[in-house]
Amino acid sequence: MTELLGYAIPGIPFGCVFALMAIGLVLTYTTSGVFNLAFGAQAFVSGLAFVSLISDGWPRWAAALLAIVVLGPAVGLALDRLLFRRVRTASPIVKLVPSLGLLIALPQLALIIAGSVPTIAPPALFLDAQRVYAHVLGVPVSGLELSIMVATAAVVALLLVLARATPLGLQMRAVVESPRLVELSGINAGRVGATAWVISSCFAGLAGVLLAPLYSQIDPQNYTVLLVWGIAAAVIARFESIPLALGGGLALGIGQQVLAGYLPPGVIASGLRPSLPFIVLLVFLPFGRRNRIEDPLAGCDPPPSTMVEDARRYRPASALAVGADVGTRAVGLWHRALGAGPSESLAARAVRRPTTVVAWTLAALAVLSALTWVPADWLLTMTQGLAFGTVFVSLTLLTGMSGQISLCQASFAGLGGFVAGQLATQMGWPVLVAGVAGGALAALLGVIVALPTLRLAGLPLALATLAFALLADNVLFPVSWLGDGASGVRLPRPSIGPVRFAAARPFFILALVLLVVSAGVVKRIGDGTTGRYLFAMRGSETAASSVGIDVRKLRIGVFAISAGIAGVGGALYGSLQGSLVPEDFNYEISLVLLVVAAIVGLGSIGGAVVAGLVYTTLQRAVATLPTRYAGLVAVLFGLATLSYTRHPEGIVDFLAGRFSELWARLLGALRTPGYGRDAPAPEPEAEPAHGVARP
Amino acid sequence: MSLLSARGISKSFGGIDALRQLDLDVAAGEAVGIAGPNGAGKTTLFNCLLGLTEPDAGSVELDGRRIDRLPTWRRSRLGIGRTFQRLALFDGMTVAEHLLVAEQARRGGIPFLRDLVERSEPRVEELERVDATMALLGLTELADRPVEGLSLGHARLVELGRAMMGEPRLLMLDEPSSGLDAAETTRLGVILSELRHRSGTAVVLVEHDLQLVEAVVERLYVLDFGQLLAVGAVRDVLDDERVRRAYLGGGQ
Repeated sequence: MTELLGYAIPGIPFGCVFALMAIGLVLTYTTSGVFNLAFGAQAFVSGLAFVSLISDGWPRWAAALLAIVVLGPAVGLALDRLLFRRVRTASPIVKLVPSLGLLIALPQLALIIAGSVPTIAPPALFLDAQRVYAHVLGVPVSGLELSIMVATAAVVALLLVLARATPLGLQMRAVVESPRLVELSGINAGRVGATAWVISSCFAGLAGVLLAPLYSQIDPQNYTVLLVWGIAAAVIARFESIPLALGGGLALGIGQQVLAGYLPPGVIASGLRPSLPFIVLLVFLPFGRRNRIEDPLAGCDPPPSTMVEDARRYRPASALAVGADVGTRAVGLWHRALGAGPSESLAARAVRRPTTVVAWTLAALAVLSALTWVPADWLLTMTQGLAFGTVFVSLTLLTGMSGQISLCQASFAGLGGFVAGQLATQMGWPVLVAGVAGGALAALLGVIVALPTLRLAGLPLALATLAFALLADNVLFPVSWLGDGASGVRLPRPSIGPVRFAAARPFFILALVLLVVSAGVVKRIGDGTTGRYLFAMRGSETAASSVGIDVRKLRIGVFAISAGIAGVGGALYGSLQGSLVPEDFNYEISLVLLVVAAIVGLGSIGGAVVAGLVYTTLQRAVATLPTRYAGLVAVLFGLATLSYTRHPEGIVDFLAGRFSELWARLLGALRTPGYGRDAPAPEPEAEPAHGVARP
Repeated sequence: MSLLSARGISKSFGGIDALRQLDLDVAAGEAVGIAGPNGAGKTTLFNCLLGLTEPDAGSVELDGRRIDRLPTWRRSRLGIGRTFQRLALFDGMTVAEHLLVAEQARRGGIPFLRDLVERSEPRVEELERVDATMALLGLTELADRPVEGLSLGHARLVELGRAMMGEPRLLMLDEPSSGLDAAETTRLGVILSELRHRSGTAVVLVEHDLQLVEAVVERLYVLDFGQLLAVGAVRDVLDDERVRRAYLGGGQ
């Protein structure tokens, strides 16, 4: 008994922090419909501020006050105003991507601002962390544990009083039911929602400050782990019950410590603890039909306007657009001055589909440059871009076309790379064959992920895949016969008979061929009957199955193909680099991949290729900056999610649409004398294939 | 022998009995109406019949074959088409694509490989059937419009068309007239009659609009609180004292 308590009591502080996190998540999800993954980052920001201020000599109470009561809510309120308020009724992925972007960006931004991580051991909120204040059944309770328990109990009690005994609590519960009706009875639902954001951000901030002393140093990694545990507790609470979130968090915190205490040391024990959230998610997410959670606001708010409409409505007064407009007019005037009519002999196709022509011309120029004058280091970046482009293409199929949000795409890529590496170096397989085998095993992994998540969609699916990525990081990749932990796996460059791809330019060609083949597979599927089934499934799984589409098989199939392509991409990247370590494809990379894909364009294959190039080019550009700015890429991607909420079709498709529009106006200017401001702009013609652009 | 035969269907949600021991029979080519106040269990019955909700008890047979263990998509391919009370269209797809998807799905599997090997265009006869259905429903002019922009009336017709593709033997329509104006509802009645006339499809119609029910249906089931209140020829049932009370709330 004492032994059990000896394991359980140190678990309570963890449980408290998990519970605070979960309560914050549940509170905003129920009042605003947004599952704010950025809470992990907000917790880190508060924790970092707390420790930094103390390290600068501030008194503890002042630092805590600033970090929890000022900074936490300020960040939360800013995010609500700038971002989340706009996406309340949007589709799951449009809600998810900004919070993912912030989860990645905020900690890096905070680190850049703070300059460096304070080296002091983080202190407890109050009391002396190390001193033992009491004994419970013979188990010592330290000041650290006591302070966390007291603080948690206090704020939870405060929240319950607020919820049960004040008008605000009543209003908050009403907003959960129906924001529209609340507005009709004369209450500002937006303000009530903002209050909920402030409160839950305080919870995140407090969780961040309390978590800090549980580790020897403050590290963003620990906060993502905290977030994942918080998610698991929120799932136990069915995304709606605050008492259950508290209980779930406590149970998880205690459970993980007890498990760790009783299991024999080794790979299983060290792998099981971090994978506990995954198991919890899988067990609790598909639990009964009711848990197939839907948008809490779906019944009471109007559906979001379609994204094409949004894109059309939004007219940026950017220099680019103005410049293009002026250019258009100038060309029109010039043509009229010359008395030239519109030349009908122009290749009709080029006129009809200008974006296609421009895109292919740019692509051809890029390939030609790569094969001729591009210096070696930039060629490497481009080739890396092609490898990642392959991974992005796999996301286009899975998330763009089929609407299945995957936060474990890097795990698929990593598995492909590691299997290829092991087969090539340990078994002596030819590298190309090993790469294909890696892709095949990644496809198998895709099936394994698809099977238990068949009944999940939207946010729950995203969370389950995230948990799976963590499982892969902790259990799959460290083992010696796969990722081999820190030492990683070697993967040489391939050759076919006498043709060797060791040099940079031949390898570039190989990467290009593999990307084109992958893109071709995805395009064929997207254009064919299967593609129509995928769009139908994305639109409504229920309706798709009631017209006779075998949704199960379709999902398993599309997960397998997508994971297979990602696996080939991972092997390609590994072969390019010469070796792979698990960090190349950990869960954070999965998050970044989805964010970048969504920002640049999930809707088209061109978007995926551009995403690959942008991803590697930006990283290379930032690598030349001082180390303090190492996180700048993450910050940029995070900030780009601000534009994403306006253009969920992605930058590439947005620009393509704008370009077509301008082109059409240009043609109009050539054809219609007297073209002026009032001439109606013709419809953009190069719409992306139906709906692909609307994840 | 009846085409669809459901026996003893029961379903409860957290202590509330949505359906209690319900029997339903539909003969081939017959049109059956299901009426009842909101919350009587009509949509739940549809979901149970098609496998979208698992009933707690009961059996469903189609043409004498047990189908209550089959997944939804398989029941659909055996010849059941349905529409949804709350629209469930495929956002981003055009009207024609909705019908094409249904036509292809009812007749074949998922052609992953065929799509990869050959660029699989829709077959001419598939497109012809889509065109014919659009013509029947008066949707031809909207063929290439994405469904998000359609009026509610047109959207309901697209759902009807989607359910009709692949020549199902049984059409289950969940309040197809809700949100339609009087003229549209009348037109819907004409379309349904014409459809039955042409292809002999059996119809199960959940409907509040009693005029539409009378125009289309031969036999009417009335449910209340998950139980069968009355069944029989439409006029007899509507004259039934208990039915009037359930619908009109006491008295005459």
